Amino acid sequence: MQCKDIELVLEQEGLEPLPEEARAHMAECRDCRSYVADLTSLVDAARKLPSEITPPDRVWISLRAQLAEEGIIKIPAEATRAEAAPFWESISDFFRSRALATAMVGILIVAATVFQVRRSRTAPVAPPAQTATAESAPQKAAVPEPSEGFDRAARALDDQEPVATGMIVASSSPVDVSLRDNLKKVNEFIADCQRHLKEQPQDALTREYLSAAYEQKAELLSAMIERGRSIN
Amino acid sequence: MSLQRMGMTPAQPGTWVKRSTLPVLSAGLFLWSTAPAQAATAGQHIEKQFNVSGRPVVVIHNVANGRIEVKSWKNKEVDVVGTQTSNKIGFEIEQVGDRIDVTANILDAAAQPLDLEANLQLTVPEETELQLKSETGLIYVEQVTGDMKLESYGGDVHLKEVSGYIIVKTTSGSLVCTQCAGKLDFSSIGGNAQILQPQLDNVNLMTTTGNILFDGDFVRTGLYSMKSGKGLVEVRFSSTDSFDLKAQTATGIVDNQAAAFLKPDSHGVKHIASKFAQGLVGTVGMGLAKVELSSYSGTIRIMKRD
Repeated sequence: MQCKDIELVLEQEGLEPLPEEARAHMAECRDCRSYVADLTSLVDAARKLPSEITPPDRVWISLRAQLAEEGIIKIPAEATRAEAAPFWESISDFFRSRALATAMVGILIVAATVFQVRRSRTAPVAPPAQTATAESAPQKAAVPEPSEGFDRAARALDDQEPVATGMIVASSSPVDVSLRDNLKKVNEFIADCQRHLKEQPQDALTREYLSAAYEQKAELLSAMIERGRSIN
Repeated sequence: MSLQRMGMTPAQPGTWVKRSTLPVLSAGLFLWSTAPAQAATAGQHIEKQFNVSGRPVVVIHNVANGRIEVKSWKNKEVDVVGTQTSNKIGFEIEQVGDRIDVTANILDAAAQPLDLEANLQLTVPEETELQLKSETGLIYVEQVTGDMKLESYGGDVHLKEVSGYIIVKTTSGSLVCTQCAGKLDFSSIGGNAQILQPQLDNVNLMTTTGNILFDGDFVRTGLYSMKSGKGLVEVRFSSTDSFDLKAQTATGIVDNQAAAFLKPDSHGVKHIASKFAQGLVGTVGMGLAKVELSSYSGTIRIMKRD
């Protein structure tokens, strides 16, 4: 097995469990070990991203000191103590309002990572003279369940969906209505692909469409949060 | 800079403005000329011209409802005309070197949709890079050469005789690209894509529920990928075209109306029938370009033009 084969295995099979041949190659190849280690740490880091991040007070204190030192803000000595709380709150709010968007970035990282690792190459097809018909028999026992990566991505997106839709729920602007309509379309499409994959888990074309739909859903939720933030 | 444009009436011929009014007028003129261009009032239009030296970069963000229209001229100037239906929208226009930023902002979030219409009409040098973003209005670009990124939620994007690396992203808006050249990336959830008489050598079209129509020549050595989740993917080619074709669908159908022109692929890798997809592989002419069509549950139609 060569280095390029490892990449192919990772693309098709994901990070774990790696086949015996791949593990044997990695035992001798430092580059591949490093590559897999990087991917693993990236996926782990993305998984650990919390839905909201509230930095500790010391961050605000050091940030304020830094800004004052650089002359970006001026704080009257007398007023500093009295106005400290509102000042912290305003900066804290400034960043907190971005925490949701940060969460969405986390989702996108998770999704992108999983999809890059899991994305399969396009399935081969028949020549025109022998146009193939769809295989109707569902794949059974030997076939693995739909990938964990998809499940994780789906769960992460489902968790964020009520937050995102809630932020524009009261809005009747054409854009927000369109976002909601399109989210519904994407959800229906995802459900359709998931049903199909349950019957035919190795259908690479459907997996490709499903991963694209998850990406679109992540972008839609991100847009909703962004718009909701600007409204609120 | 006329007084009429400031909403003032000029002094009648033969009359003199009182000396005491001159400082006030001068101050007013000074303030008007230096203030940001966001003071247009209801039903008015604002116009600004900017000299540029090289290839300008124009960035427009229209958060109001309304269209963005960009055409070209031979002048080394960017002309911006903004019109609005109410004073609840403000235009911010600034130039930094050869970059011109135009933003239409909503000033009153409680305003009714009818009051939130702002249209932007730009005339730019032929070689200009564009980054345009609209909410629901049409984006129209004609005869511009340069890289462009065009984004809209619900608005359509119409391009005519443009060339460069063109990126179009919409939520539900559709793309009509007529006589475009260069490279095109289109992605949408519900939007359709119509590519007519193109000279594009690299095309990536992806829509979840929309339809795709490609009616034109495939440039030799070009790469073309067209995917629709649930919609129709239709390709109309001419008998002089030369391309390898791969079409596949998971649960849809492939409607090959050009079987007479499609030969088995003689130079490619061996194609093994997939258990999961319906599809076909073939070659037209020498197979110089590469065309990949796919749809999850829609129809793929392959036709020859008359």
